Amino acid sequence: MRSPSSLKQEFLKRWMRGLQRCTSSKKDMNVLERKKVIKLSADLAIASARNGTTSWSRALIANASRDNDNRILAERILGPESDILIKRVSTSVGTVSCNRKIRSKKILKRSCNSVRRVRKGTHLPQKVLAKSIAKRLVQKRTQILKRLVPGGEFMDELSLIEETLDYIAYLRAQVDVMRCIASATELINHMNIGGNKMV
Amino acid sequence: MEPNLGTIVRSISIGPNREETGLESLQFREEIHRLMTVPPENGSSFTELLQLPETQAMELLHSAHSDEVVPVPLSGEPLHGINDDHKSYLPSFNGNLTFPSNKVLIERAAKFSVFASGEHSPETSSVPSDSSANLEKVKSEPAETDSNPNSSQLLVSDPAVNIKNQRSEKRKEREKKGKGCTKKSKIEISQDAEKLPYVHVRARRGQATDSHSLAERARREKINARMKLLQELVPGCSKTFAMQISGTALVLDEIINHVQSLQRQVELLSMRLATVNPRVDFNLDSLFAPESGSLADSNFHSMVSPLLWPEIPFNGNRQQHQQQWNFDALHRPLWGREEDNHTFITMENSLLNYESANSASLHSNQLKMEL
Repeated sequence: MRSPSSLKQEFLKRWMRGLQRCTSSKKDMNVLERKKVIKLSADLAIASARNGTTSWSRALIANASRDNDNRILAERILGPESDILIKRVSTSVGTVSCNRKIRSKKILKRSCNSVRRVRKGTHLPQKVLAKSIAKRLVQKRTQILKRLVPGGEFMDELSLIEETLDYIAYLRAQVDVMRCIASATELINHMNIGGNKMV
Repeated sequence: MEPNLGTIVRSISIGPNREETGLESLQFREEIHRLMTVPPENGSSFTELLQLPETQAMELLHSAHSDEVVPVPLSGEPLHGINDDHKSYLPSFNGNLTFPSNKVLIERAAKFSVFASGEHSPETSSVPSDSSANLEKVKSEPAETDSNPNSSQLLVSDPAVNIKNQRSEKRKEREKKGKGCTKKSKIEISQDAEKLPYVHVRARRGQATDSHSLAERARREKINARMKLLQELVPGCSKTFAMQISGTALVLDEIINHVQSLQRQVELLSMRLATVNPRVDFNLDSLFAPESGSLADSNFHSMVSPLLWPEIPFNGNRQQHQQQWNFDALHRPLWGREEDNHTFITMENSLLNYESANSASLHSNQLKMEL
């Protein structure tokens, strides 16, 4: 596994680069725009750091490039690598459309299964009933998780769990780095204000 | 032998409900009685056992053809449904349905299942008719049998879940020993239609024994292994035991909470960064400069991590921006493109030009604050 510190360094480097590229065009942005830009560049930074090896990173980039207004920003942030990345992402988009068909079939099957289960439920002993209830709970939760992890709706359980592992690691690194920078900047601001007051 | 077979086959035949056909059920009941009289033998003679009702199978074959049309839509679902433990064994033979002989075998098997579980005959009575319908679905079926060998291969070759593999293999062996059956692996099952070992396999309570459910079980074990990893990753999760399904639900709950909280934190932090810094640049030199007296206590980590990479990321920038940087003090109020490049000055530069940098950033910050 990658070491977390190297992950953070990589992430920070790319993020800063992305921000730099992004701000070179626009001068003044209000808070919301800035936040969006920051978040977007952070997402793209880590996603590009994975180089499309994980499916959630691909989904992130795909989502970013989908909206037209974000797209230009995203492309600029990604910079020269954007072509390669977007190509890689677009190849996975084809699988997304196939996955949609599979997904609809799965939904159909699931609805039929639930009907069958209801019918059977009266005969089965307690233990199996409990099992089916637990199964349903797990299924509900996996659905929620699928919504949370980007690009997770089209994955089966096993890969979903792997993606979640990766995604959690990424989120942690992102949170740590952002927190450090935020607190550092705030401290400097405070210091500067204090210093100026003293002067 | 008979009661064992009954338990096994009963577990197998807890399949999806299909449409009943009264005639067929009657036929099957006759078959059942005929089969009951046959003294069953050990596993190796299973094929002999199957051979006995061959004539009856041929009859069924002809009768089933008439019912081809009816259960087609119904059988569509269970074919795709790998996830259900209690699916019938039918889909396991889908890859072999190109041969007409297999149909006979399937019907033998179907009747064999019917034989042991009288009460489930209505469900399984439509099974042979479904098998005839299955012939038409050859396309989708090989895909599923392909997935089975693949998953079985995965099961065999995955080093991360070796323990699980051993466990599942032990279970398989137990099942084998149960009847002396010939079931070696799922690959062999899909290829070897003659033996039909699934019926001999001793099922665990409440579980079917077809190759699909084995694949399902292997998958689930993998999932459990990953869930354990996740458990260790997510804080506060080690208490819940993940082997039970209820445990799995709890672990998933924790994971979901964790992911949601992390995402929320990211949002909040990005908002915070946006407010703290009116312009979306972060003067890294000022951040990590040796005004470390105040910073080091609170930002130890931020100091540590940049200390590690002073050279690497910014080497490219350094040469370009050194020249521009000299203009910094002059062009302080100019927030043009050059200013952006200055943010990547390395620590060494910041050490040398600490004061001017600081004053520059000071002023810049002040200006930003006023905005």
